[in-house]
Amino acid sequence: MTDLFKSRLQRHLREMAKYLRLVFNDFFVFALMFLLGGLGYGYSNVLKQLKMGLWWAPVVVVLVLLVTLQVGRFATLIEDADRVFLLPKERAMHAYLVAARRYSQGLAQTTQVIVVFLLAPFLRVALGWSVPQIVGLLVAQVILKDTLLRLDLASAYQVTGQRRMNEWPIKWVLGLVALAVGVWLTPYAAIVLAILADGAVAVWMQRHWQQQQIRWREQIKIEDNRMLGIYRFFNLFTEVPMVEGTIKRRRYLDWLFKPIKSTHEQTYAYLFSRGMVRGTDFSGLVVRLTVIGMLLLYFVRGEWLPVFLAALFIYLIGFQLLPFFQQYDDVVFTHIYPIAPELRLKSFEHLVTLILGVAALLMWLVIVVANLSLMTAGIALIVELVEVWYLARIYTPQRLARAMKNKA
Amino acid sequence: MALEVSHVVGGYSQIPVLKDISFDVRDGELVGLIGLNGAGKSTTINHVIGLLTPHKGTITLNGVTIDQDSQAYKQQIAYIPETPVLYQELTLREHLEMTMMAYDLDQKQAWETAHDLLKIFRLDNKLDWFPANFSKGMKQKVMIVCAFLTQAKLYIIDEPFLGLDPLAVNDLLNLIEQRKKTGASILMSTHVLDTAQRYCDRFVLLHDGQVKTEGTLSELQAALPEAGESLNDIYLSMTKVDRA
Repeated sequence: MTDLFKSRLQRHLREMAKYLRLVFNDFFVFALMFLLGGLGYGYSNVLKQLKMGLWWAPVVVVLVLLVTLQVGRFATLIEDADRVFLLPKERAMHAYLVAARRYSQGLAQTTQVIVVFLLAPFLRVALGWSVPQIVGLLVAQVILKDTLLRLDLASAYQVTGQRRMNEWPIKWVLGLVALAVGVWLTPYAAIVLAILADGAVAVWMQRHWQQQQIRWREQIKIEDNRMLGIYRFFNLFTEVPMVEGTIKRRRYLDWLFKPIKSTHEQTYAYLFSRGMVRGTDFSGLVVRLTVIGMLLLYFVRGEWLPVFLAALFIYLIGFQLLPFFQQYDDVVFTHIYPIAPELRLKSFEHLVTLILGVAALLMWLVIVVANLSLMTAGIALIVELVEVWYLARIYTPQRLARAMKNKA
Repeated sequence: MALEVSHVVGGYSQIPVLKDISFDVRDGELVGLIGLNGAGKSTTINHVIGLLTPHKGTITLNGVTIDQDSQAYKQQIAYIPETPVLYQELTLREHLEMTMMAYDLDQKQAWETAHDLLKIFRLDNKLDWFPANFSKGMKQKVMIVCAFLTQAKLYIIDEPFLGLDPLAVNDLLNLIEQRKKTGASILMSTHVLDTAQRYCDRFVLLHDGQVKTEGTLSELQAALPEAGESLNDIYLSMTKVDRA
């Protein structure tokens, strides 16, 4: 069973490496270096101004460590088919899960060490801690994370009549108590508390797992969600086929569909509009990019820079919308409806025009408010109008027509 | 002559799955497409509904091929796939409305038909549900309702009897009977041979990408006298010849 985990892990790491190469492209690494450099510089400036005895300093330490403690999930790499194929091997699965927890430690504990390391200068300056105290806190933090991962492992098994072991109140309260003791009393007491908690869970686990069934459905769901989170992140940079969004009813937005008449010509407008509003994938993307763009435009001022930034964001949104056209290709209706392909394309053009138009308008308003310059506002308006027209009416149909031809 | 498939060679890639297939479905007729897994039933259906283009041969529906006028061709077809896939973001009500829009149906009249159909399949209180909340059988029923909403001339039904409850199977067969009387044709693929034997007017027996034989049950019995009485026996003997 450990071998099974090993081979899965290899496959998993290969896949992650493939995506990470795409994520850390030159442009992103460059931006990241600037960001880290800026943050580091800001942090060192803050440290210089700090004095001992600030009431909020320990609170910040506890909060940061508490949140960090939740980072690094239990990666089981369990798959949907396992509940059928591995069911007869349920007892042997324990070795698999233990191996999974061992692997999960790596990333989780590295994060803990890095965060405590980053906090160390703050602890020295604001709380006046000695090095052994800081090391003590680090040890407590690592053992606490070990406890949380053990709770995750324990919760892979059914517990009759009892609450789940890894429910979030348990995780947060346990961390809060131990860290508060560590920061306000002494970190050495936190070590003792963490060891007690870890030991207690370990003993409980040892007694119970052999009599319990694995909660296959929950474990599969948790793992699916974990992978989905990772894929979502990658999806910001490159296309990931596994990402399928969720659907929200959003009844309060139904008025948006009012202008779409139920006629033959509007069939795809009917579908696209609802798909866009209720699906979280593309709508989320559009909203995220628009909001980020607006925030950026509020803070970045100048004559040309805002115009350039707004144009960039509109392009990003327009470009990311393209795959939405193929969103429904796997529904057979899309192919058998007696609708001319031109109507489908036309509806899509409408949708893109509308979305880009609204995003452009919002960003333009921010530019106007932030700069209060007639020149910049005028140039931005013209550039945005031309860009929206070009993207929606020329670029999109050209690209999609080519894609359709390639498929046929 | 509603549907005419003549000398079709085709498949998903350059390697043909169908090797020179010919058969027809006449007006008001229910034709059963019978064959083992991998015999080419679904491939045939995918060619008929226009998802695949034949390498050779033609498929004509009331005188129109899909190349001549794809809209006129598709307008005449309603399709119920074996694996139901619906639009995740649309409710049941919206699926029906979209079908009406796509086929350019008169909304008032279509809704009357729709309500009858929904009642038959016990979906009338689930109009605002999303596909995610439906079971597989319910999704299949949604597709049946959408298909029978269209007043198509040719219904193509891929393996309808698995996944539906007995009551729904019965209701579906009644619906098929009703539409046949108005002159519509049905092409149906299935493995449930005893049901097929009772309801189909004619059979097309596919094996290994070829039409082994076709005709009414009595014609099949006459062609293979020692095979046995039932469709099941005839079918088994036919595949045995191949295995020997």
